[in-house]
Amino acid sequence: MAKHETPLLDELEKGPWPSFVTDIKRQAEKNPACWDILGQVELSYKEKITHWKHGGIVGVFGYGGGIVGRYSDLPKRFPGVEHFHTVRLNQPASKYYSTEHLRAICDKWEKYGSGMTNMHGSTGDLVLLGCRTESLEPLFYELTHELQQDLGGSGSNLRTPANCLGQSRCEWACYDTEEACHQLTMHYQDEIHRPAFPYKFKFKFSGCPNDCVAAIARSDVAVIGTWRDNIRIDQAAVKEYVAGKIPSNGGAHASRDWGKFDIQKEVIALCPTGCMWMEGGDLKIDDAECTRCMHCLNVMPRALRPGVEQGATICVGAKAPILDGAQFATMIVPFMKVSADNEFEELIEFIEKIWDWWMEVGKNRERVGETMQRIGLPTFIKVMDLEPIPQHIKEPRSNPYVFWQEEEVEGGWDRDVEEFRARHAA
Amino acid sequence: MAYDPANPMVDRISDIGPRYYSEFHPPVVKANKGKWLWHEITQPGVLVHKSETGAECWTVRVGAARLISIELIREMCDIADKHCDGFFRFTTRNNVEFMVDSKAKVQPLLDDLKGRGNRFPVGGTGCGVTNIVHTQGWVHCHTPATDASGVVKAVMDELFDYFTSMKLPAQVRIALACCLNMCGAVHASDIAILGVHRKPPMIDHHRITGVCELPLAISACPLGAVKPAKAMVNGVEIKTVAVNAERCMFCGNCYTMCPAMPLADPDGDGIAILVGGKVSNSRTAPKFSKLVIPFLPNTPPRWPEVVAAVKGILETYAKDAHKYERVGEWAERIGWEKFFEKCNIPFTIKSIDDYRLAYDTWRTTTQFKYTSHVK
Amino acid sequence: MALSRDELKAAILKKAETAPKPQLYIKDFYACDPDTKPREIKNVANDLVKEGKLMFWSSGSTTMYAMKSRIKNEEGDSGVN
Repeated sequence: MAKHETPLLDELEKGPWPSFVTDIKRQAEKNPACWDILGQVELSYKEKITHWKHGGIVGVFGYGGGIVGRYSDLPKRFPGVEHFHTVRLNQPASKYYSTEHLRAICDKWEKYGSGMTNMHGSTGDLVLLGCRTESLEPLFYELTHELQQDLGGSGSNLRTPANCLGQSRCEWACYDTEEACHQLTMHYQDEIHRPAFPYKFKFKFSGCPNDCVAAIARSDVAVIGTWRDNIRIDQAAVKEYVAGKIPSNGGAHASRDWGKFDIQKEVIALCPTGCMWMEGGDLKIDDAECTRCMHCLNVMPRALRPGVEQGATICVGAKAPILDGAQFATMIVPFMKVSADNEFEELIEFIEKIWDWWMEVGKNRERVGETMQRIGLPTFIKVMDLEPIPQHIKEPRSNPYVFWQEEEVEGGWDRDVEEFRARHAA
Repeated sequence: MAYDPANPMVDRISDIGPRYYSEFHPPVVKANKGKWLWHEITQPGVLVHKSETGAECWTVRVGAARLISIELIREMCDIADKHCDGFFRFTTRNNVEFMVDSKAKVQPLLDDLKGRGNRFPVGGTGCGVTNIVHTQGWVHCHTPATDASGVVKAVMDELFDYFTSMKLPAQVRIALACCLNMCGAVHASDIAILGVHRKPPMIDHHRITGVCELPLAISACPLGAVKPAKAMVNGVEIKTVAVNAERCMFCGNCYTMCPAMPLADPDGDGIAILVGGKVSNSRTAPKFSKLVIPFLPNTPPRWPEVVAAVKGILETYAKDAHKYERVGEWAERIGWEKFFEKCNIPFTIKSIDDYRLAYDTWRTTTQFKYTSHVK
Repeated sequence: MALSRDELKAAILKKAETAPKPQLYIKDFYACDPDTKPREIKNVANDLVKEGKLMFWSSGSTTMYAMKSRIKNEEGDSGVN
């Protein structure tokens, strides 16, 4: 594969941000197939249109996920990218790596693929970009045998679960996100590797309501850490913040002079429920009114910590807009203990109850959030055997069109129109 | 035993999952998991986490393209071997984090990174613009309406100063998705760059019989714009589909199910800008991004119109918003009419929703502000 | 009464062979036995893939099932599944 002229892409070698063009060129010195990536993308830059074709059918034996087929529509001109399939590797929880493991993956990818990757894909997988069909099986064989490294999900499968780094390096995580993510990933290997559902299904695990993996926006089951007792307050540290001895907001505003820290204006007035006040130099919180939004903790991480009775709120049904519009996940279970002690039993039971219902009533290519919307939250709550509570809604319905059930109405629905007419002339 | 192509199922290992995460924790992380007390950003790109044991984890965050080579990963490994006991991690926003267990080890790491050209910019913390999450674009996708990596590179070059500093009112999350499938989380980002198509699909009658299951293509359309039809191909009548162009919303879902219905086009495709989304529950509930610029043309290699639009919104926000206010919180406080006026973005009818649940976005109060829009 | 596993396999294969369109959603197989839970039908269909009697067919975002002999593949690959 020869070098191509790439005057347009070369423009993207300028500027302070790391250049993917420079990087692909570096890789092309080792693997000349990469010149054809540049060649084809340069053509797209010139013509303002993609030159990749639909997937076709590729995979490894017995798996219905983890590989996404991709072919160039100009294979003669760019033979190096004739086949350019994606291989999704299931990332380790929190995306920590040993250099030993990453180097081993790099070596395999040098042997069997283009050498280009995404670290990482949007769902969370470590993505290897650009594999020929005949290399898929040997690559998979060596990944599993030598690296103990499996593929992730694609298609109508459970997609590779993802988590925020949680307790591994964050003081706010209210449960062990990485253990939950790992254990559920292992528990559902079959669902990740083989299609199981009407459409894709995602879990994401965030340790607190800051939601650093965007669980509430992107996952069918969002497990978001929270607590149900009182925010822990270190009054001495509060005083240090007030005195300006500790940088507020964890130092996040440091590059601009915002003036002296003002706890009244920056914390108390911004509390969405107005449940905080100062009293004799102490910060007071009426915890019964708190909705655990995280703002005060974010601003004063050394003074305020989540309570000690920790667990997670479970929200269901988020998705991107295709097709009926974007949905955030709906709050379904306000508080659930999420613990490795019972192997996440309660969460697993909850998930499988959703699956049993959705597999039955969900339409093809319908995300569970869309099924919930089509059939209604009241039905979903009943299916899940949950008590309806005001926390399920933002506000009560404003239309009166309740679907009453016959058994709820005195005397039932069976009536005699003849008898009615005897009393009411037509 | 090595792989035997004649007997692929011999010795097969499957369903083993990822490696266990704790194998990959740096020692200071492993020893202090669940014991962290607080954190602080000591300078842009550098965080310290303090444990109840007294231990400290110092993290240096570095920006990276999402599309990276194994040569670059190996260089990251070299850095981690030299400074970080052979461990490092990636963030959900494609940043790289190198961790050390004492403050004394931070400066040598920073110096090393600085000595490697522009490959490892330090930043992406606190109230700045961190890395843009994005999709594949022309580098790997079959349905894109724009490129991803190139637009992101052009935007980040222009906003670089905001990556390496923390001078904004709050963090600003930018995301790019190269088509309406939105593989990136652009529907809940402060500023979203979205590839859009504007021409209905063409029908390749010669190919459709071979590559499409017509019922799948027909049912793929959310608006029922794809209907069964007949066409003559080489003198033979074949079953095919027709598209009611007036009902097409250019989502491309039919093309996803049927390769004989391509809709990408050099003039038809381009970029829309959405703003005001957020994921975090901090202060206000999560919000969707809202469409404020319906279309900008694709102008590779550096998309100057898109870069200018993003920078214009960012800098207007930076000047006008209160401390802690996210872009969407700011826009809601001042009112969207003021947002358009202050950002100098022409308001068009395309920002008025006429899809499902549209009514929720219409104004049903007499409360509004007089801006230049009211003649 | 629910079909036995072998009966269910036969019913699924018959459906895959005779349905008007070659690619079938997992839901299309539910009708093979209304008395068997969807998750079990899914497991049996996936077993038939392992046995080489069915194959997966994927649009990228959606995965379906098909008889290998009925699939026209754009790329002329033999589907490896």
